[in-house]
Amino acid sequence: MSQASALPPALEMTMVSKSFDGFRALSEASFAAHAGEVHALLGENGAGKSTLMNVAIGLYRPDSGVVRVRGEAVVIDGPLAAKRLDIGMVHQHYKLVKAFTALENILLACGGPSYGRGLREVEAAVRRHCAALGFTVPLDRPVGMLSVAEQQRVEILKVLVEGARILILDEPTAVLTDREAEQMLLTMRRLADEGRTVILVTHKLGEVKRYADRVTVMRGGRTVASADPDSLSLSELTTLVVGAPVERERAPSPAIGKTMLRIAGLSGARADGLTVLSDATLIVRAGEIYGIAGVGGNGQTELAEILMGVRAPLSGSIELEGVGDLCAGDAGLRRELGLAAIPADRSAYGLAGGLSVAENYAVGGVLAGRFGSWFRLDRKAMNRATEAAVSAFDIHGVRSPRQKVSLLSGGNAQKLVVAREFARPPRAVLAHSPSRGLDVRAAGAVHQRLRAARDAGAAILLISEDLDEVLLLSDRVGVMSRGKIVAEFDAPADRNAVGAAMVHHA
Amino acid sequence: MPETAPAAMILTSRTDTKPAPKPDPAAPGRRTRRLSVEIRQHAPGWLQAAALAGGLVVGLICAAALLVAAGVSLSDLAQEFVVSILTSPESLAAVLTQAAPLSIIGLAAAIAFRVRFWNVGIEGQMIGGAIAATAVALADLGPEPLRLVLMGLAAALGGALWMLGPTLLRLRLGLNEIISTLLLNYVAFNGLLHLLYGPWRDPESNFPNSALFSSPERLADLGWQNLTYALPLAVVLMLAGWWLINLSRFGFLMRVAEANPRLGRAQGLPMTGVVLAATLLSGALAGVAGFAICAGVEHRLTQSFAAGYGFSGILIAFLARNNPLAVLVVAFAVGMLFVAGQSLQVFYQIPSSAVQLVQALIVLCVAASDFFIRHRLRWID
Repeated sequence: MSQASALPPALEMTMVSKSFDGFRALSEASFAAHAGEVHALLGENGAGKSTLMNVAIGLYRPDSGVVRVRGEAVVIDGPLAAKRLDIGMVHQHYKLVKAFTALENILLACGGPSYGRGLREVEAAVRRHCAALGFTVPLDRPVGMLSVAEQQRVEILKVLVEGARILILDEPTAVLTDREAEQMLLTMRRLADEGRTVILVTHKLGEVKRYADRVTVMRGGRTVASADPDSLSLSELTTLVVGAPVERERAPSPAIGKTMLRIAGLSGARADGLTVLSDATLIVRAGEIYGIAGVGGNGQTELAEILMGVRAPLSGSIELEGVGDLCAGDAGLRRELGLAAIPADRSAYGLAGGLSVAENYAVGGVLAGRFGSWFRLDRKAMNRATEAAVSAFDIHGVRSPRQKVSLLSGGNAQKLVVAREFARPPRAVLAHSPSRGLDVRAAGAVHQRLRAARDAGAAILLISEDLDEVLLLSDRVGVMSRGKIVAEFDAPADRNAVGAAMVHHA
Repeated sequence: MPETAPAAMILTSRTDTKPAPKPDPAAPGRRTRRLSVEIRQHAPGWLQAAALAGGLVVGLICAAALLVAAGVSLSDLAQEFVVSILTSPESLAAVLTQAAPLSIIGLAAAIAFRVRFWNVGIEGQMIGGAIAATAVALADLGPEPLRLVLMGLAAALGGALWMLGPTLLRLRLGLNEIISTLLLNYVAFNGLLHLLYGPWRDPESNFPNSALFSSPERLADLGWQNLTYALPLAVVLMLAGWWLINLSRFGFLMRVAEANPRLGRAQGLPMTGVVLAATLLSGALAGVAGFAICAGVEHRLTQSFAAGYGFSGILIAFLARNNPLAVLVVAFAVGMLFVAGQSLQVFYQIPSSAVQLVQALIVLCVAASDFFIRHRLRWID
């Protein structure tokens, strides 16, 4: 990076502003990344990171501000213009045609003289890049059949084959396991060392410390700092991101009681019929958080869906202390018996974006008659209860209970789910990746609620692919691999030991 | 999908898509005004109403232009569409007579659409209902004072039965209901022809209609013009529909089924039951509309009593945003169009397809007005 200071920045954005429908997503943000560096763009959800990068890639045009590429002022009015300037982006939600093979996807992005010749040329280029980076990607299978990590490699290859010198990756590690993420980030390091510019959009502080040469921090649409991450401590970085330090202390359970939830010999199949949960057995005691760690796809999703009551088990039982086997009852009965569930996929099982905040809140109690009779729905009661929950759970951005939920940010939407699920004190809680995609502050608030429920005597089953989250919250940690619990650790669990159990059985 | 990131499309008033020419965009003297299209997060009620009204006005202008081009003068149009309907009791009665079954059909479509079930088989269900009602009438089932009630119930049952197949196929096997309900229209129509050319052929005239209903089998006159009890029946059904959708718990469950059935299932709400009940209700209402036409207007089962109604029902539900009270208003407007269309045919030799064209134009314009509710246009310097 010694030459970096002599050359103009590879990508420089000065005083960029952008508004959507009156909402100021970017206000006078400035950003500069040099060739040869891994530059992290750090910030909470909604801080404007993705918007800024979408300006760089030409998806948005700024209301004001200047973009310079290698020192020249440019107007990037679309992804094609960005491509001509050698800027490529790997979006958070991959832009792949699932029925196409990797090669066809890359060909689609790059174009070629003809299908056959183009495919051969692309294949040669792809193999060159794969060899240089040590990538293994099945090139001739539909990408829909590839794992998430493999799909991401296809996206990276696509950008590289296009000849990008400036690579933007939006939240690249959000869906990867620790090991996959490390591999991917090391690859990025190598690409930067070859003279490319790698911009890493992330909200994970650890990644920034470990892999970035430089970090730009965004908060509320502004760029608030740009520095060498080594010169900042983790807590200084956190302060820059959230404005105030956040508590990350472990808080062990004050009192663990007797067994509350007993899952015995539970097996279940995935939607395509493959048995991915096989003979899972565990107990969760009252006043305890039992954290399930594991590499994604080892049966965690099916365990959560069976527990919620949206998927039928093949065999086994889920016994809740005092009421018997939950599998005998449907989702509604389980909830009446004191089970609360925070699903991983908020847009599928958690909320309905098109409905109002009050309707999303009331959906949990309407059948039990808490909001009027079958003849007359009591909207006033719904609104009152919602307003109380909004203030009790510190949900921001709710101007009225009639406002649509899709207008809430991820963190506030998740708080609404928690508020609904905890509307009555639960006896057992399923929390599946409860802080996925949330910023530090919102994650802290959700964690606080889980601890409070535990301290009130609930049994909490936490399933998360974020090892940090599991270690931080759990009173006991179980490692799930190939559909069963293969190891258990008492808190405080050793990170390396848990990690080893996750990987060795996989 | 709660994808909240506002996407923006850019309509550029310049045409350069090449990489930026050298000059600094910030330099003076190079102002480029562009029209930017942005997704609107929230549209206030007055704006929605204004956009809708704007679409309606543009549609009416297009329709008027079309009819003027076909040789009807503007003053004649105003006479046929507005003056005669508002001043002549006969015309008003004719419009209201049309509006009654139209609104019931609109409600049938609206209730199915409210649970994301695209019922395009309304005509088939109308025929199913009318056949069931006619069967009761021809067989002289039940005591005479209850005959009409029995016919109405039979019609509801017939319509619901005609819906049962598509809804079960969709809920159990995921079969697309647009295909199944559409195709069952043809089955129903040919079944109707079979009955009218066969066992139910009118023995007196030997025409392919059923025999005339006797007076206890006809909807009674209201005593003003030729209006029958079909109209109060429609009004009562609209009020009931409004209660069901807006006030009842079932309406809440329908909204969840429309917005995100998976959320409902995870919360233990009976989503399958809600869709089943709503679709059967939709079929039953279509059946009742068939009954209202047969027993209220035609006084017999005819071949073509349902022709064109299915499309109009979808149109009415769409224009009324699936709101039962608005359905009543829109059904009145479509009834006006029907009646005025008839006199255009008779007095101006305008083909009946022109009336359908006018309907389609208005629907297209109103549908397009939705763009301004969802998006915001803004000039950027």
